Amino acid sequence: MSSRRPASRLATTIPAGNGSNGERNSVVLGPNDRLVGQLFIEGDLRVSGSVEGELEATGDIEITGRVNGAVTAYNRLVVGSAGSLIGGDVRVARLTVEDGATFTGKVTMGKPTAKEPTPIEPVPATIEPVVEPVVVAQPKGKRR
Amino acid sequence: MDVQEAVAEGTASAENGEVKRDGKKQFSMGPSDILEGKLIYDGSVHADGRVEGEVRASGNIDVANGATVKALLEGANVTLKGSVEGAVTAHDKLTLGRNARVSGDIQVRRLQIDDGATLNGNVRMGDFEQQASGQ
Repeated sequence: MSSRRPASRLATTIPAGNGSNGERNSVVLGPNDRLVGQLFIEGDLRVSGSVEGELEATGDIEITGRVNGAVTAYNRLVVGSAGSLIGGDVRVARLTVEDGATFTGKVTMGKPTAKEPTPIEPVPATIEPVVEPVVVAQPKGKRR
Repeated sequence: MDVQEAVAEGTASAENGEVKRDGKKQFSMGPSDILEGKLIYDGSVHADGRVEGEVRASGNIDVANGATVKALLEGANVTLKGSVEGAVTAHDKLTLGRNARVSGDIQVRRLQIDDGATLNGNVRMGDFEQQASGQ
């Protein structure tokens, strides 16, 4: 009986390359992949599938698929000629849009800020205690 | 209306700048030229130096590297290589060169942004509404 062991095929070493060995992390969403929601990547991100939601990466983001939502790239955003980025806020340090790409949204470029400035909360009006004058009815003193 | 005056001033200062290329009119500015006011031009515009106000061209508009533009720009193909502050409308294609610094809202049919360009503003892509083109 010669039964194949799938485990023996899995035993081949797969290069990690996911940040644990010092290399830059890189995540790829293939053409048949779909994401709905939020994604934060410490490293680079390549999207050739479709995304409904927010993307954030500390490195580069390359879009050759379709993205509906906000995109934040601490370094560089590339929208390929077949790519589509619609609707969201785009915060990037560097931006490349290739001819033929679909690109709509609010673009903010400049120094990448990890945290957005928190809005200043309105200072609640201090209510001063109202001191009510206490009128003490003085009884008419009997004069003698 | 000081608009007419500004237009006259604009054409007068660029008297020598009007050249014909391929049978089409081109309004061409040099790096030390200044245009203030509103220019509506049937042809292409090459903007350099300093431009303030509004430029609408039936042809292409290109803003040279080193130019300072604080104006509304509207043209067929618009190529920006300098600094532009103001709304930009390209009925066909807008190209931001590697040295372009643009802050303002953008409406285009096609868009190309080269690496190195800086853009701050809203980008709208697609069909154009019947707006302001007659004005």
